[in-house]
Amino acid sequence: MAINHYNKIEKPEPDESCNCIINITGITKVYRLGKVEVVALRGIDLKIMKGEFISIMGPSGSGKSTLMNILGCLDIPDRGTYLLEDTDVSKLNDNQLADIRNKKIGFVFQTFNLLSRSNAASNVELPLIYSKRSTGKNRKERIFESLDSVGLIGWEKHKPSELSGGQRQRVAIARALVNDPAIILADEPTGNLDSVTGEEIMAIFQDLNSQGKTILIVTHELDIAKHTRRIVYLRDGRIFNEEKIENQINARHMLATMPKLEDKVKASIK
Amino acid sequence: MKRFGESVKIAFQSLAANKLRAFLTMLGIIIGVGAVVAMMSIGYGAQDSIISTVQDIGSNVIIVTPGNREEQNQQGFEMMLGEDKDKESLKIDDVKEIEKNATMITGAAPAILNSSVISYLNKSTIATIYASDEKAEGIYNFKVESGRFYSSSDVKNASNVALIGQTVINKIFGKIDPLGKVIKIDGKNFTVIGTIESKGSDQFGNDQDNSLTLPITTAQQKLYGIDYINMIIAQSTTEENIVKASDEIEKILRKARNLRPDEKNDFTVQNQTQLVNMLGTITSIFTITISSIAGIALLVGGIGIMNIMLVSVTERTREIGIRKAVGAKNKDILFQFLTESVVLSITGGIMGIVFAVLVSIILNRFTILSPSISSFPIILALTFSTVVGLFFGIYPAMRAARLNPIEALRYE
Repeated sequence: MAINHYNKIEKPEPDESCNCIINITGITKVYRLGKVEVVALRGIDLKIMKGEFISIMGPSGSGKSTLMNILGCLDIPDRGTYLLEDTDVSKLNDNQLADIRNKKIGFVFQTFNLLSRSNAASNVELPLIYSKRSTGKNRKERIFESLDSVGLIGWEKHKPSELSGGQRQRVAIARALVNDPAIILADEPTGNLDSVTGEEIMAIFQDLNSQGKTILIVTHELDIAKHTRRIVYLRDGRIFNEEKIENQINARHMLATMPKLEDKVKASIK
Repeated sequence: MKRFGESVKIAFQSLAANKLRAFLTMLGIIIGVGAVVAMMSIGYGAQDSIISTVQDIGSNVIIVTPGNREEQNQQGFEMMLGEDKDKESLKIDDVKEIEKNATMITGAAPAILNSSVISYLNKSTIATIYASDEKAEGIYNFKVESGRFYSSSDVKNASNVALIGQTVINKIFGKIDPLGKVIKIDGKNFTVIGTIESKGSDQFGNDQDNSLTLPITTAQQKLYGIDYINMIIAQSTTEENIVKASDEIEKILRKARNLRPDEKNDFTVQNQTQLVNMLGTITSIFTITISSIAGIALLVGGIGIMNIMLVSVTERTREIGIRKAVGAKNKDILFQFLTESVVLSITGGIMGIVFAVLVSIILNRFTILSPSISSFPIILALTFSTVVGLFFGIYPAMRAARLNPIEALRYE
């Protein structure tokens, strides 16, 4: 079997004492494209602690996206275990995975992925529609709080087409926050933004992290990764290096030295 | 329930985003439902008016016509080619024979139906002539508005007198009082001795007021030069014995004509019950035919909905991916798209019903048709459009629900 050839199988050892949000062991994923088998992940072990701010770096084809999809419960691994807050996610069915995504994962995508026909508030509301726990007044409060935490109060009624790129990404972050997930997964969140706007988004992530949110960012830009506290390097489906960042880039400080581009954009839209 | 409300809201939002497309998609359903409801209403209206006409005439009326109806039906082709051999077989003597011998009728009257040119001074019109005898006032249900009906001596003497209907009055007299005036019928002078109350239209839409009645003897001798009559109208004593009375009339006429037992009737005895049944059959055939056509329209409409829903699923692949990423389950997506197709078809159904009601109102006002809108076709139409929406929506919705979220998110 191709898998065995590439992969030294480690017995998953679910660590009960671990105070982590995510604990994956021996994650393997193989895609079958016709007769060809493409091994995307060859045994990944990773622990993410509560309140961590971590980035995953790697060139394209390194398995970043696959890992992201598995961490985000959009896909399940072929082998290995995935404990998300003590739930063994690798054994869940489609419906249970949808529930986990709804309650424990907040996604932020490179292309924002907002519903173009819905306004900012409705986009933020989306996860609440699929969760049973919040209704009525409580719902409005949650939407307001989420939009407030990304500084978009006053923009509730605007549709994505009426917002700048940075604002759209902030709506996406607000959407990711609204169900108070265990972790926020951001896939190249600054990839479609200019450097100033990207820095603003990183500032929001840093703020959220300082408030205790656990955040994982997938990126191929070292400058962005250096905003986080730990970088995990991925290559050929394996983790080949890890690095603790002692002096993270402070996005707020960076912004102070940059021209306020978004203010100009805001002004032109208003 | 809350989830349902949410789905309906989303459905309306996404339909509103493509208004023209949604409308065009609904058009099939609108036309289908509109046609079903309108046609059924017209059918019901026709039935209602037949029933009311029958009630007007009285359901104890027996009609004798020349020739054998059943035979004619079988030999319809011959009928079309040649002259009806029995057409002239009914005579006034037959009426007398019936009156003399029948025990279960209150009376019998002969009738000649024709149309003639009526004129007064320089104005003229074509009207239906109902020629009969003095008993027609009761049997034919002519209500004299002013003046008098022709008497038995008028009939005996073949007097040149006539009673005219409201449409004829309007056309040739206008505001002039017609009583005592001399009119020309097919060029011959007649004195107007009375006017007939308005009866409105019959179930076939004929204006019953565009008519004129005169003594049958006058019609035979002075107008048309014939010795036969077109029909005999009799009334049974009660509604219950109408069948017995019909049989009795048949026996009397057979005897009067010296028909042997193996010979078929050369006349036909019909009563209102038979007529109503016949008309009812015609109406239901009409309704079934139109409903089938409308059913096909609904089917086509449903295919249109399925088509547009498939397009919609493809277009909104990314939206489906986003929804799944934030926690929508397969059944949520299924429900969302199913709701959308049902909303589409029910909205179409409601618009179709509104359309049908408008058409009915217009028909009522401007034509002789009087459609009657009842709850049955409306409930039927709504049920059908819901079923169409569900049936044709399920496949696209399942396709949407089965999409892989990763691929859906990557879809451009």
